[in-house]
Amino acid sequence: MTAAVVARPALDRPVRAPLGRLLVSELRWILRRPRTIIAIVLLSLVPVLIGVGTVIAGNANAGPGGNGPGSLFTILIGNGFVLPVLSLTLLLAMLLPLLGAMSAADALAGESNHGTLRGLLIAPVSRARLLGVKAFGVGTVVFIATAAVALVGLVTGVILVGTDGLITLTGNTLSFGDALARIGLSVVWVTFQVWAVAAIALAVSAFTEHPLVVMAATLAGALVFAILTVIPQLDWMQPYLLTTGWTSLTDVLRDPMPWDGLIDSTLKAACYLLIGLSVAYARLSTKDG
Amino acid sequence: MTTTSLVEPGVGAAVAAPALAARTRGLRKTYGSTVAVDQVDLDVPDGAVLGMLGPNGSGKTTTIRMLLGLVQPTAGEVELLGHPMPGGAQITLPHVGALVEGPGFHPFLSGRENLRRIASAEPLMATSAIASSVDEALSRVGLSDAADRRYRGYSLGMKQRLGLASVLLLPRRLVVLDEPTNGLDPAGTREIRRVIAELHAAGTTVLVSSHLLAEIEATCTHVAVLHKGSVVAQGELAELLEAGAPALIVSTPDVELSLDSLRDNGIAARSTEDGLFVELIGTSAPKVVKVLVESGAEVHEVRRRRTGLEELFAQLTEGETQ
Amino acid sequence: MSGKKAGLVAGAAGVLAGVVGLGVLAMPAGAGPAPVLPKVSAEELVQSVLTTKSMPALAGTVTATNNLGLPSVPGLGQASRFLGNGTTNTQVWTDGKGKGRISLPNSASEETIVYDGTTVWDWTSSNKTVHKETGGPDKAHPDKPSSGEVATDPAQAAKQVIALISKDSTVKVDGTATVAGRSAYEVVLAPKPTERTLLREVRIAVDAETKIPLQLSVLANGNAQPVGQIGFSKLEIGTQDPALFTFTPPADAKVVTGDAEKLAQKKPDAAKNLPQPKLVGTGWDTVLVEKLPAGLLGNGDKTAKTKGGQSFDPSKLLGQLGKRVSGPWGAGYQVSTAVGTALILDDGRVAVGAVPQQVLIDALASVK
Repeated sequence: MTAAVVARPALDRPVRAPLGRLLVSELRWILRRPRTIIAIVLLSLVPVLIGVGTVIAGNANAGPGGNGPGSLFTILIGNGFVLPVLSLTLLLAMLLPLLGAMSAADALAGESNHGTLRGLLIAPVSRARLLGVKAFGVGTVVFIATAAVALVGLVTGVILVGTDGLITLTGNTLSFGDALARIGLSVVWVTFQVWAVAAIALAVSAFTEHPLVVMAATLAGALVFAILTVIPQLDWMQPYLLTTGWTSLTDVLRDPMPWDGLIDSTLKAACYLLIGLSVAYARLSTKDG
Repeated sequence: MTTTSLVEPGVGAAVAAPALAARTRGLRKTYGSTVAVDQVDLDVPDGAVLGMLGPNGSGKTTTIRMLLGLVQPTAGEVELLGHPMPGGAQITLPHVGALVEGPGFHPFLSGRENLRRIASAEPLMATSAIASSVDEALSRVGLSDAADRRYRGYSLGMKQRLGLASVLLLPRRLVVLDEPTNGLDPAGTREIRRVIAELHAAGTTVLVSSHLLAEIEATCTHVAVLHKGSVVAQGELAELLEAGAPALIVSTPDVELSLDSLRDNGIAARSTEDGLFVELIGTSAPKVVKVLVESGAEVHEVRRRRTGLEELFAQLTEGETQ
Repeated sequence: MSGKKAGLVAGAAGVLAGVVGLGVLAMPAGAGPAPVLPKVSAEELVQSVLTTKSMPALAGTVTATNNLGLPSVPGLGQASRFLGNGTTNTQVWTDGKGKGRISLPNSASEETIVYDGTTVWDWTSSNKTVHKETGGPDKAHPDKPSSGEVATDPAQAAKQVIALISKDSTVKVDGTATVAGRSAYEVVLAPKPTERTLLREVRIAVDAETKIPLQLSVLANGNAQPVGQIGFSKLEIGTQDPALFTFTPPADAKVVTGDAEKLAQKKPDAAKNLPQPKLVGTGWDTVLVEKLPAGLLGNGDKTAKTKGGQSFDPSKLLGQLGKRVSGPWGAGYQVSTAVGTALILDDGRVAVGAVPQQVLIDALASVK
């Protein structure tokens, strides 16, 4: 008995688990979740589908210049490096934000639902740290998915079309290295945008125990944003909407690259991220465990 | 008790003798207009195994959650291991193992992976010791063979034991178990009792809640009885059990004969439904038995009335659920 | 309790910072305080503008904002983005020595025009086609701000210009402004009270340093916001990368050489085939009156109003754009915008001007 008493660590100061260990543990948990893996695999099949589809369709749909996202397909023909960017553009509209929302839903609402959030709080992991770890985990999932899409897109494009370089929308040709840098930039930029959506989802996630509520709320939010974008009377709102900046992803295909839209949208995403995490923190720090 | 010897210099002067592992004063928690816990003054002596006894909905879990800083009290104060809660959570909780409201694990992870995840979050766990601590905890609860199966496939008993294993990952100063035997078969219940006894022997304070008196009686040194959100009795188990006037309950068909002979010997007794109730005032149990046997009455059973706690608990649970 | 409160306070502060940040981002740029510049008279300013013979080397974004109030017309393709209410961004580069580059970005495609000194390349990404034409840039794009066509003596020219304008307008330098981050003088041209026009004033921001016009705003009566504005939203003056003024067609692009026909379609030179229009009145309330052959009725309107659209059914378009009107002077369609009115009568008479309807009717009376 006395031996046990002596072996006890002192009880006089706060002790915390190493942050790196928490982050690694979070990633281990996320990447062992079957649906995360399935979602990432499905998303990375999208560039393959687009690439093969475009090649099969050939020049059939290369009509005289519409302005919708369809005209990106035109430049894709014979231009494999466009495939990663085009895939990310299409996925950014809905599926990547949904992946972020799903991850955010599991991060707080899901853990709460399984009773495992309480286990972390008792360990204890402070609530601010908990949120930080969760935000990191969600961001990493989004990054992995985005990078996987870009990588699969790049490989598919190179196999289908070759490595002649990236023809920009501006009409000039970029070197292989330049093209890789542009794709890398797209991955980072898209990750940050989706991370901002996920932060809002994380805030919703902090309020509920039901992951499906988070998904539904995110879908509803996406729908509302889409509606707000098309109502002309509400166009004063557009600078505030995160989604309006998403068209600037195609700017990476222009040369010289116009940074304005990309930077503006990144700053906007940073604001959304801050708002989302702040609401999540306020809720988490007042929530009963 | 050797409780005072457990106080170390590091704990500080905040804890007065006798040392308390946990203490609440005027604790109150309301959810809207519902009062979950009211005026709870709970003392958990250091080194004790305190049973928190109360019917379902009596406020046991809410009190435990406030002790652990999971829930903010509406009023009153909480002190855990000498530090106020929830402010001192980062100081005290690393030394506390708790299993609250059933085990919480991820169904798609194996038992081992689930424990690893919890171990990673434990501040006092050395990173290099995670694997061995997890193995040891699993073997202590007898789950070594099922460690790599998914939690989804565990039986209720296995889930409960995995929960217990998460508490045993580290040596603790205080272990809190909320209804640990829920859903367990008798063998599982014995297992839990053994673990509690081991913890007690190692000097760990244990706070265990239950709605079953027998479980508390079997494992605890101290008891606190909760009813409708308030503590109605607390103290050492032995004292509470012995409280009240001692008496014997005699089961016999020959009530008249027995009553007469007892009264002839100056022993106070009255008839009950199926026998006699004999108060042991100015007499002793052997003497009563002797008188009864000599009277020639047919005695089926004589037992000591469990006063105090049992009586109290019977009163509390009557009309609650049954 | 305090932990709970601190969490709420931190959360609220974060939300506030985020919302403020969004507000700052959404705010239009260049709304800063007016810069302090040395006083200058309108005449001096016009003179120095005329002295500036050529544009310096620059890179910029030209933003055109349209609040004309034209009804939106579907099916106009590329042209519709300049016609409908809204904002259009065009990127321009010039090396200051005649070479230039214009980029018209769309959400998913881009048109790039490069003049490398000898050849104009016009690349359209949505059909991967390059039009190549040897010759001056002005031929391909007359709208481009060009240089060197000003009278020989700037001081003299300035006087002439001011004198000409002053007949019907007041000209003054009305303070200063910041346009695209640069300090500029604001020159205001306002119609004299006798002018029967819909316009209130025209404001031109002139860069204080280089004296190039940075922004042109047209303001109409009864509207605080400019009904039309074109100007730099971003401007960077300095030497540009020479690579910008070269163009190599991508490997698999379709190259159309010397095909002036396609480029001509972009220009409103269909007007050449029409009878010479007649101007009625002077100054701000000048009305352009024309008598069209009956078959060309629709095209006449197109020429006057829509600057280079593609082929479409004119009468259908008129029905969409305007409303049917009639009076003792005849019957036809009236197209009204914030800055002007057009009357297209069934008998082929057309009148257009920055004036209310009555002025058009008066002008029409002078043409039989």
